[in-house]
Amino acid sequence: MSKSARNRQKRNNPLVQSGPPWGAIAFFTVIGVIVTAAVAFAAWQAFKPVEPIAGLIERDGLERGHVTTKIEYDTNPPMGGKHNAVWQNCDGRVYDQPLQNEHAVHSLEHGAVWITYRPGLDSKALGKLKDRVSNTDYTMLSPVPDQDSPIVLTAWGKQLKTDDADDDRIDAFLRAYVKGPQTPEPGAACIGGKDTP
Amino acid sequence: MSGAARAETAEHEEGVENAAPAAPRGRTLSLVLAGLVVLIAVAVVAAAALRPSVPGPDSPEAGFARDMSTHHAQAVQMSFMIRDASDDEKIRTLAYDIITTQSAQIGMMTAWLDAWKAPKVDPKGPMRWMSGHGGHGGGSGAAMPGMATDQQLKELESAEGKDAEVLFLKLMIAHHRGGVEMAEAVLARTDREEVERLARTMVEGQSAEIELMTSMLRERGAA
Repeated sequence: MSKSARNRQKRNNPLVQSGPPWGAIAFFTVIGVIVTAAVAFAAWQAFKPVEPIAGLIERDGLERGHVTTKIEYDTNPPMGGKHNAVWQNCDGRVYDQPLQNEHAVHSLEHGAVWITYRPGLDSKALGKLKDRVSNTDYTMLSPVPDQDSPIVLTAWGKQLKTDDADDDRIDAFLRAYVKGPQTPEPGAACIGGKDTP
Repeated sequence: MSGAARAETAEHEEGVENAAPAAPRGRTLSLVLAGLVVLIAVAVVAAAALRPSVPGPDSPEAGFARDMSTHHAQAVQMSFMIRDASDDEKIRTLAYDIITTQSAQIGMMTAWLDAWKAPKVDPKGPMRWMSGHGGHGGGSGAAMPGMATDQQLKELESAEGKDAEVLFLKLMIAHHRGGVEMAEAVLARTDREEVERLARTMVEGQSAEIELMTSMLRERGAA
C-alpha cells in the first residue's frame, strides 16, 4: 500500500485522527458562548438596577423627633425632619387648603407621598392630580402657596418637581415611594390622625 | 481474495494499531468540553428551577395584597371608633380582635409586596385585579366591596352607646362580606401557597365573625 493511501485511510477514520478535533472545538465553543450569554442575560435580568427617576432630589440625615412648636423647614414643601406627634390623614386624601407642615411631615414618616400644587394650577391638571390621589392609598394632595414649582411630589427624603400633571415620573414616583424603602416607620397608619387642614 | 486485498486488510489493521495512541488526545479534549457544556447546562437549568418565581407587579396576588391592606385599614379604623364609643365588653373584645388580627395581616401582605419587589400602590387605580368588580373606582374605596363611605364613618364616629354598636355591627358585617368576597376572588386566581393560606383564614375567620355580629345585632333587636 502506498503512503498516500495510508494517509487517506487515517483521514477517513475519525478514531485515528491525530490532529486537534477542530470540529468539536468549534461546536462546543459556540455552545459555550451561547450558554455564557444566556447566563449573563439571566443574571442581568435578576439584578439589573432600578431605573432612577430623572430629576429626583434626595436628602438624608433627617431628624425624626416630635415637637409641639412650629418648625422652620429648609425646603418647601419639607422633605422630613422633626414633626408634630399627630400625623395628617393620608388615605388618598384631597385637601383644598394648605396643611400644617408639622403634621404633613409625620405622614411622610408613615410612608405617604404628599403631592402639592401651587394655587393657580389649571383646573384640568388639578383634576388629574385629584383623581390620582383619591385612587391611591397612602397619598394626600394639598396646595402650597409659595412652592417654586407648579407640582411637587414629596416622600420622606425624596422629592420630584414637575409642571406637567401627565408626567410619567408621577406614577413612577408613587410606585417607588408609597410605603417605599425610604419609609422610616413602615406599617404606620394613614388614618386616625388629623383629618382637616 | 487477491494478494493485494489481503495486504490492504493487513495494512488497515496495522494502521489502527499504529494510530491508537494518538486517538485519546482528541477524544479526551472533546469529552472534557462536552462534560463542561453538560455541567453548565445542568447548572443553568437548576438555577432557573430553584430561583423562586414571584407574582408580578400587576398580578392578582399583588393587587389583592394592596387592596386588602386598604380594606383592612378601614376595619381597624372602625374598630377603634367603636372601642371609644361603647362600654359593652363583647363589642370591645370583638373590636380588639379585629384591630390586632387585621393590622398583623396588613403587615404580612406588605411583606409579600416587599419580597416580590412589587409597588405598594397601583396609580392606575385599585381593584383592577378583580375583573368585573368596578375596575377603576371613583373616590377612595368606592370600588372596593363592603367599604363604608366617608359619611358612614362620620356617623359612626359621632354615635354613642347602643346606636354606635348597632351602626358598627351593620357596617362591619357589610365590610366583612366584602372582605370574604375579595379573599374568595384571589383564591380563584392564585396557587401561591402563602396567599391561599392567608386568604382562606380570612374567609373562615370573617365568616365566623359575620355570624357572631349577626347574633349581636339580634340581641339589640336590630337584625
